[in-house]
Amino acid sequence: MNLVFKLLFLGLALTPAASLFSWDGAVAWSLFNGITLSFDLTPLSAFFMLLLAIGAPLIAVPMLREKSDESAYALYALLLLGMQLLLLAGDFIGFFIGWEMMTWSSYLLLLRSPRTDLEGAQSYILFNLASAFLLLAGMLFLYSITDDFRIQAVDGLLTADKLVLFVLFGLAFLIKVGALPLHLWVPRSYDQAPDLFSAFLSALMSKMGIYGLMVLPLLFPDGFSEISGRFLNGPVAGYVLAWIGIITATIATFKAISQEDMKRLLAYSSIAQVGYIVTALGVGSSLAIGGALFQALVHTLVKLLLFITIAGIILQTGHRRFIDLGQLISRMPISFFGVLIGIIGLAGMPPLPGFAAKYLMYVGLIEAHWLLLLAAMILASTASFVYCYKLIYGPFLGHANSPEAKTATEAPWQYLIPQIILMGMLVALGIFPGWAIDVLIDPVLVGLNMTPIGTPAWNVLATSYGGYDGIAVMGVFATIFVLISGLFFLLRGNMHRAASPYDLSFCGEVPTADTPLHYGAGMGRELRRVPLIGWILRHTTTGFYAGLTRQTQAAAGVIGTLYGSNPQTWLLLAVLIFAVTLTIQSVTGA
Amino acid sequence: MAHYIIDALAMLGMSYVMGFLFYGFYRQFNARVQRRWGPSVFQNFFDNMKFLFKTETIIHGPMFFFGPMIIFAGAVTTVLFVPYLKDSNWLQGFSHSGNLILIIYLLVVGPLGNALAVGSSGNPFGVMGVTRGLTRLMGLEVPFLLGLALVMVQHETASVHAIMAAQTDFAHWNLMTNPIAFIVMILPFMASQHASPFDVVGAPVEVYAGPRVEFSGRLLGVLMTQNMMMTVAKLVLIADLFLGGATTIWALIAKTFALFLLTAAVSTSFPRLRTEQTVDFFWKIPLGLGVIGVIATVWFPWS
Repeated sequence: MNLVFKLLFLGLALTPAASLFSWDGAVAWSLFNGITLSFDLTPLSAFFMLLLAIGAPLIAVPMLREKSDESAYALYALLLLGMQLLLLAGDFIGFFIGWEMMTWSSYLLLLRSPRTDLEGAQSYILFNLASAFLLLAGMLFLYSITDDFRIQAVDGLLTADKLVLFVLFGLAFLIKVGALPLHLWVPRSYDQAPDLFSAFLSALMSKMGIYGLMVLPLLFPDGFSEISGRFLNGPVAGYVLAWIGIITATIATFKAISQEDMKRLLAYSSIAQVGYIVTALGVGSSLAIGGALFQALVHTLVKLLLFITIAGIILQTGHRRFIDLGQLISRMPISFFGVLIGIIGLAGMPPLPGFAAKYLMYVGLIEAHWLLLLAAMILASTASFVYCYKLIYGPFLGHANSPEAKTATEAPWQYLIPQIILMGMLVALGIFPGWAIDVLIDPVLVGLNMTPIGTPAWNVLATSYGGYDGIAVMGVFATIFVLISGLFFLLRGNMHRAASPYDLSFCGEVPTADTPLHYGAGMGRELRRVPLIGWILRHTTTGFYAGLTRQTQAAAGVIGTLYGSNPQTWLLLAVLIFAVTLTIQSVTGA
Repeated sequence: MAHYIIDALAMLGMSYVMGFLFYGFYRQFNARVQRRWGPSVFQNFFDNMKFLFKTETIIHGPMFFFGPMIIFAGAVTTVLFVPYLKDSNWLQGFSHSGNLILIIYLLVVGPLGNALAVGSSGNPFGVMGVTRGLTRLMGLEVPFLLGLALVMVQHETASVHAIMAAQTDFAHWNLMTNPIAFIVMILPFMASQHASPFDVVGAPVEVYAGPRVEFSGRLLGVLMTQNMMMTVAKLVLIADLFLGGATTIWALIAKTFALFLLTAAVSTSFPRLRTEQTVDFFWKIPLGLGVIGVIATVWFPWS
């Protein structure tokens, strides 16, 4: 029975792939009043469906290791159904239904974690409901001015109407991607969720917000440029969106550096990486949109890899804080390579595909002449090296800092298989960035009526600003590395290991096992001495929300005095008002 | 194929020779400023050979061994992706397969690889040095790339070859046509070469902490070699971008030496800054100039 459920669950995880490859033709389902629910697989939704199709089975494999958990499987079924509905929807009704299914099933999944506290659960559901209500308000507003729910370009809107649509939908999706200051739920929920579900949240569900932000400009025939004109080579509304994205990225990066818990660090890094995508979407040129899609793809792969690897480490050691781990490199070598490849992708280093995504986004910003945004993006992406280094140093290097870290063994194979597949995908994408452009990204750009980026060969990433050759970069680096290592190893002379791990240059003293030698938790603390970073890290949005809570309670207190203490009185009042309204309506014949 | 191999070897050899001569000169120059005689110009070569022929090397595990190999491979890759000469078939390496942004990122691949080795040594002072290095990188990269981005916007390309080709004569050097970009990026560029006054990371003399604290023997020799080659690659890159590139080897040496002399002059004149002072300085002065530059050259024409 157990096995049957597991097989069913695995089959369930393959449904996005099935709907991606077997979908043919649009489905329309007529509702009341001439409103039709329509579903279709556009190139844009196919791209995001692909991310889901890659991610869902890879997360399912390590989940199969545990005892089968039918209710969690059922919630995953709802979640996957909701996400597919939302991607396939051709109108806002289907989109909203999918969005709500995703929100509620993910909330219930989050509640199933023993680590979830009231605060985390409440902030998750409050922010996501706010997002859903904004979405609802936006779609009703759209219906009120066009009498149509379909997602399509609307001609002849007033500027004020466009602005209202932009703000309502924009806020709804920005909450989902965790833009500052609407990010409060992200670190809490990614941190408290079951370890593998965090991978799902970060890699796949944050992309639904990105999908929404890409659907939004479809409402305007001329994209964001329609809302309030253009600035340099891009739209003004997009400029605002881009700054929101990059401020999010910068602040979240510094927050990530100061975290002492692996999953919280990854949560903040998710916020930052998705911030880059928002910035690129704001630019709106085909290079930038291509970069945004590439970054979405790379971020999905990288975050799947990192969260699954970290889940393996937590499973094997029971620790999640940097200060409790260390020196796992020799005990968990495959996990080490998983995190290594992951952080190279996260930092956007050549030759892995993170660089291709960064390159497209940089060139998009340069083409638009938005250089101040470029500088801010460079700041965020260079600062990310610090947390990337912390992420690999804390668990794997330095000295083991707890008994569990001293005896841990490699993660079980169910965790290693997805890691190896993802590492392979990342390396292959790094060698063939042109393949991703040609096969995955250009169809989307064509579908959005934009100029495709194009590529002369699958190993070349070519833009009008120059490009690079993936095989040459990877080939030269790998060849030289092998040659040098081999040559040096042959000519190494008398090279031997230090007699003990405490045989260090330590200010002329000899450290012992009691000397605190692991630098994991304190790393990055000295960054606070830089005035700007210190200022950012001293301020949080918690105070803002605490103030908001106080004001809301005060307002509720004032409104509460209107009701009186007896509930029966105001129930009666409500019924009376309702009856009177009905009567008036029927009398006037409205 | 044979052409590529000979070309690559020539580039590496040239970087190495220029590297130890420049650093040897720096030691002389520094000594004369301080009224000492100083060592010979070849002293860096002798030191490097001394390290490379040491008999005993202590390592702390496999990653500790591979770190210096990664940083060396990173340095060689960087050298091979920077075009050394203009309008020539020689000393080009693989530069036609790359671009400016790629080179900027290649510059940091090696140090990050070496950071893994420093971490696996288990010495907290080494890791402290790495964190300082990354902090400084965060400070310098913003104005550095902003300066280069001004050049990329000016020429509407990220290809080093195209930027070099556009600077036909002295009046068209980017130093003359886009001086603000040069001013914005020159100080961060010096910091990226670990030059004083931004060199607290390596802590060359007095502070017993830095990324290299655990390395000894031949591994230290490898680190020293790659540093000299990397310095030359960076100098050549800036000569390509701002001084019109070079058509002959002698012009190349003259231009890179001029840049090196500028760096050396600044290095000997100013006292060292702490890491956070470095970052703050870069975010105030060069970045502030960069913002003014963007407003003046990009925004102002309201293109």
